[in-house]
Amino acid sequence: MINEEKVILMTKMASYEANKGKKDIAVTHYFRGDYIGFQVLKSVIAATISFLALFAVYVFYHFEEFMQDIYKMDLLKFGKSVIILYLCVVGAYGVISYVLFASRYSKARKSLRHYYENLKKLANMYDK
Amino acid sequence: MTTLLVAKQYIRSFINKYEVYLKPLMKLILAITSLMMINGKIGYMHRLDDISIVLIVALMCSFMPMNFIIFIAAVFTVLHMYALSLECAAVALVLFLVMFLLYFRFSPKDTLVVLLTPICFVLKIPYAIPLTMGLIGTPASVISVGCGVVVSYLISYIADSATALSGMDTEDVATKFRFIVDGLLDNKEMLLTIFAFALTIVIVYLIKRMSVNYSWTIAMIAGAIADVMILLIGDLIFDTNVSIVGIIIGTVFSILIAKIVEFFAFHVDYSRVEKVQFEDDEYYYYVKAVPKITVATPSKTVKRINTPKRRPSGSQSRR
Repeated sequence: MINEEKVILMTKMASYEANKGKKDIAVTHYFRGDYIGFQVLKSVIAATISFLALFAVYVFYHFEEFMQDIYKMDLLKFGKSVIILYLCVVGAYGVISYVLFASRYSKARKSLRHYYENLKKLANMYDK
Repeated sequence: MTTLLVAKQYIRSFINKYEVYLKPLMKLILAITSLMMINGKIGYMHRLDDISIVLIVALMCSFMPMNFIIFIAAVFTVLHMYALSLECAAVALVLFLVMFLLYFRFSPKDTLVVLLTPICFVLKIPYAIPLTMGLIGTPASVISVGCGVVVSYLISYIADSATALSGMDTEDVATKFRFIVDGLLDNKEMLLTIFAFALTIVIVYLIKRMSVNYSWTIAMIAGAIADVMILLIGDLIFDTNVSIVGIIIGTVFSILIAKIVEFFAFHVDYSRVEKVQFEDDEYYYYVKAVPKITVATPSKTVKRINTPKRRPSGSQSRR
């Protein structure tokens, strides 16, 4: 006879496995530090590329002024302020992605743990 | 009302049944619409402005993940702008690059809004986007909607100033570049729209989550009023020259769309609200349970089976 409880449990688990579970399993294959570190590194690279692109737009926008003042301006000071701005942007973005991916990792762990609990429950049902 | 609810059930079961086919079909339609709109608005590269190419690319999109459509739309936009002028393409490329790298890296679920917002702008109902996103999204949708607004204003700005751009001296790259960046950054209407939409999303989201009856409808109307007010006050302050009648008619249509979304996403019967109170060792619980409206779809029952009449045996033997 069909065990309704078992079918419901199995359906829920199968749908989790097919959709969200796939990602969760991939995420939890890493150690927490490795996963977050890797994601933050990717974020830093993305932020660097974006910063460079925006900086290029800025320089190009003020191209004529730069050409006129290039010998007059304090290049060291300008470079310093640009680097400080860069560090601020990348730092802020890195912190945001750290928080986000840390919470994503713990969520994945949690739902995967729930999945394993269900798996155990299911195994017990078969044992009965 | 009951017929509507029955229709909803039918649509639900239809979608459930044919989801495998409907999903690619919807993607195909979305891809075709967005690409045709891009071609219609800024179709400067004639090789891309071709229905066969649009169809082939859209067909490809229908088998790819949803975000692929956004990527393809961005590629189309940049290529069209490249045909107009290199500077335009550079600005658009930087914009898309920053958007993809910084925001889409988190791959939120509402990236599709970036595509839908420009489409709604063309259809003159952009106000539907913040209302529906407030209802079904989260406050984080503000960023997606903001990106969508920027993209639509970039496209319409380029389309409007195409003649001015092509009339400029090709040698003067820096002036052209400045012209585009200035046009994008000094666009007060765009900044105002982003601000209004962001606030609308937050208002709709906050009111929707309150436990008053009819919270979804109240949220919708409050959001729409806030949106209109901000746009009109902004018009007075910054002199953005928005069309007041357009805003009001567009908002009314947007409320209708939001109402349809509500009908499918959240339909409850407030006349049968139950309030219960109980306690356990740690908490007091004030629970408000609102029943969902459900109707049973009338199913056909077989009452009688007609057996086919037997032909007279004589007609069989005769050949």
